[in-house]
Amino acid sequence: MNVESLCSAISQLPATENCLLTSSGAVSLTTLRKCAGIFAQNYRLGRGSRIALCGLSPTELIKAIIAFDGKVNAILLLPASMDEITSNELIKSACCTHRLNTLENEPIPILSKIYSDCIEKTNTTWLLATSGTTGKPKLIEHSLATLCRTIKRDPLRGAEFIWGLLYDPCRFAGIQVFLQALLSSSVLSVPDSMDFEAQVVALLKNRVNALSATPSLWRKLLMDGRVAELSLRQITLGGEIADQPILDALKHCFPDARIVHIYASTEAGSVFAINDGFAGFPISLLDGVNAPMPMRIREDGHLLVKPLLLPDGHEISCRIDADGYLDTQDLVKVQGNRVFFLGRASGAINVGGNKVNPEEVENIIREVDGVFDVRVYGKKSSMMGQIVAAEILPAKGIKTELLTKKIQFHCRQVLEKWQIPAFLFFVKEFKESAAGKKERLSI
Amino acid sequence: MKDKIIQVLQEVAADSALPLFANLDENTVLLASGLDSLGFAILVARLEEELGYDPFSLMDEPIYPRTLGEFVAVYERLAP
Repeated sequence: MNVESLCSAISQLPATENCLLTSSGAVSLTTLRKCAGIFAQNYRLGRGSRIALCGLSPTELIKAIIAFDGKVNAILLLPASMDEITSNELIKSACCTHRLNTLENEPIPILSKIYSDCIEKTNTTWLLATSGTTGKPKLIEHSLATLCRTIKRDPLRGAEFIWGLLYDPCRFAGIQVFLQALLSSSVLSVPDSMDFEAQVVALLKNRVNALSATPSLWRKLLMDGRVAELSLRQITLGGEIADQPILDALKHCFPDARIVHIYASTEAGSVFAINDGFAGFPISLLDGVNAPMPMRIREDGHLLVKPLLLPDGHEISCRIDADGYLDTQDLVKVQGNRVFFLGRASGAINVGGNKVNPEEVENIIREVDGVFDVRVYGKKSSMMGQIVAAEILPAKGIKTELLTKKIQFHCRQVLEKWQIPAFLFFVKEFKESAAGKKERLSI
Repeated sequence: MKDKIIQVLQEVAADSALPLFANLDENTVLLASGLDSLGFAILVARLEEELGYDPFSLMDEPIYPRTLGEFVAVYERLAP
């Protein structure tokens, strides 16, 4: 069977002058292809190899993916921001045979065992880490086909766009941006790092006209103000719930842009894109009108979707029902002829695209002397989607002012800043749900 | 209103152990004041607790303020 690889896909594209714009200059499609070919030849990794790409710069990562897709058994993509312990655990669980930290040196062999049973396999598995809603990130198995399912390949139209890269290219959303740009002959502006200042500088320097970001990052870009200098023609929002104020603000700032909010996840891939300027999605999609895939709402409010192609693996298979629908674990509600997203069924909190597991934060707060019990939940935020709040049940006779300081200090020592509760409310008891669980509904 | 906002802004900075720009005035650029974008989300949420409204969920002309002066003006304009 002839399976497409990223390298073969781009070799069929018209050779454009520039394909990537980096701080050290422009890279053409021909150069990119040559570079990838040289890497692949030099490294001589066998078909059974499983390679971990760790902390490469965005440009290096794109070159490495083009070099290895279709040539190795699997590619594991690990973001530069991921800590060493988590990276090592994921490399181990993905059974990687090689690790690549930079394109300057050869990949380091980490396991001698090559998987002879998969040597005949011609398509490469892309292993992506979820952003870790349940504590540890999980690996989701994709292929070029599942990642490209909603990529539009229209080189004529694509040639009009200069895309900016604001998402980490190791994550699902970042991969979507660079595949969209590469496969439709658009130019991609690649920052030196994923730092906000470096990103804005690259956007302005390369006169980007198409941009995809989370609603929270869009708010930050609008507050910063410099983004208004760009003549944006395509605006995409994803990764969090897009509310009406951010859609209106973008329309106000960029009246000529096509504004799309997409619903996608690492597990289900891109589900749908909405461009009517309103939050949520039309209920007609549930009836199949212009729907890209069958969707339904379960009795408990979970949105279920049925993509044609689903990633493999245990994590996915245990979330598919008898009819083949995948539980997105997103809660929705119907209001009039519109369906709105409410948040995650697990209670996971989405702070500007960063996922927070409430149990993890509760466990940390419980370590503080004077805390009898704690309930962590997401509080609605017009700026970040949600922020973390906690109800604290103090031990008897404890002064709450001192306890507040102790909790804040302890949280700052061990948690990421977006995990730290912005609100500490002291209560005498928690509300319990019917199942006896602490309620985590967003307030 | 301006004093209230500055007071809450200072509380948020203190709680998050963020060093705040010393001389806050209406020309201070918000993202250069010492608070990051998460800090601003917390500021807006705390002000909602104290004032009872969040202008950023009520805006009819959606504009995200760049300076402290613009931020205060949004709160004054949309006060119930």
